[in-house]
Amino acid sequence: MAYSDKVVEHYENPRNVGTLDKNDPAVGTGLVGAPACGDVMRLQIKVDDGGVITDAKFKTFGCGSAIASSSLATEWLKGKTLGEAETIKNTQIVEELNLPPVKIHCSVLAEDAIKSAIADFRSKQAARRALGAEPVTADAAAAHAGK
Amino acid sequence: MTHDPFTVLGLEPRFDVDLAAAEVRHRELSRALHPDRYQGKPAAERRMALERAIEVNAAWRALRDPVTRAEALLAAGGVELDERAEPKASPALLMEMMELQEELAEVRGKRDAVGLRRLGDTLRTRERELCARLAPAFAAARGDAARLRALLPAVGELRYLRRFFEAYAAAEEELAA
Repeated sequence: MAYSDKVVEHYENPRNVGTLDKNDPAVGTGLVGAPACGDVMRLQIKVDDGGVITDAKFKTFGCGSAIASSSLATEWLKGKTLGEAETIKNTQIVEELNLPPVKIHCSVLAEDAIKSAIADFRSKQAARRALGAEPVTADAAAAHAGK
Repeated sequence: MTHDPFTVLGLEPRFDVDLAAAEVRHRELSRALHPDRYQGKPAAERRMALERAIEVNAAWRALRDPVTRAEALLAAGGVELDERAEPKASPALLMEMMELQEELAEVRGKRDAVGLRRLGDTLRTRERELCARLAPAFAAARGDAARLRALLPAVGELRYLRRFFEAYAAAEEELAA
């Protein structure tokens, strides 16, 4: 199976490979897997006081398409608000990377990773609030006020 | 795949299939279907022998790998293998697989052949144990789709292990070079 140029490019020069401190309250970690192929993907975001993603890192053990999908996702996440990040769809990743039908699940995995990183960040914020600490970000405050 | 690999090789469908017997069967059939034996035969017959030889090879490949072996049993029982519908792995398993992959990357980076072998042995033991649990479970399911479906998480775990072994083989090759 031939990979598209963009997939190869991300595979050979993956952006934002690495780790953020998962214990940092400003960091959200998403860990997802594809049982059909055994790929595992970790995607982390760092969120500032204004609810903007200032940094994103990933580590993926899987095929070229899974690596490219998560690499692209981290690129897209930086500078976005959590609300904007939530709107990223796997179909956008498919389109950008020209993924063939058999590799669509890689983009689904990346979308899941984004959502699960955001959910992790939010639940950490909620836990801090429950313990009486001030919410770290405006997004968390807004989410809190909205409840 | 038109036929399940057990049928193609004429073996009883079971997860703990006798691989030595399967290999013998594969060799016998491959010899019988060899193109040399079909020289001078009608084109249609030659083509059929070739197709059957390809099928026999694919069947042997499928049976050797515990993942594809399990998938063949699931498919024969009518369990649809839809990647989107498969149960998600537990967070604990994902965390563990991520850590194992990172550990592998670390010993690879340090060119630590002893650490690499130890990691490989640990994971191979684990795969063996998982297979040892799956064999009676497959037998007890007796081809019932609902009972087979309950085995999907364990089959998923086998796939995560297989991904690990792929990376392991690459690391082994690199360190040997």
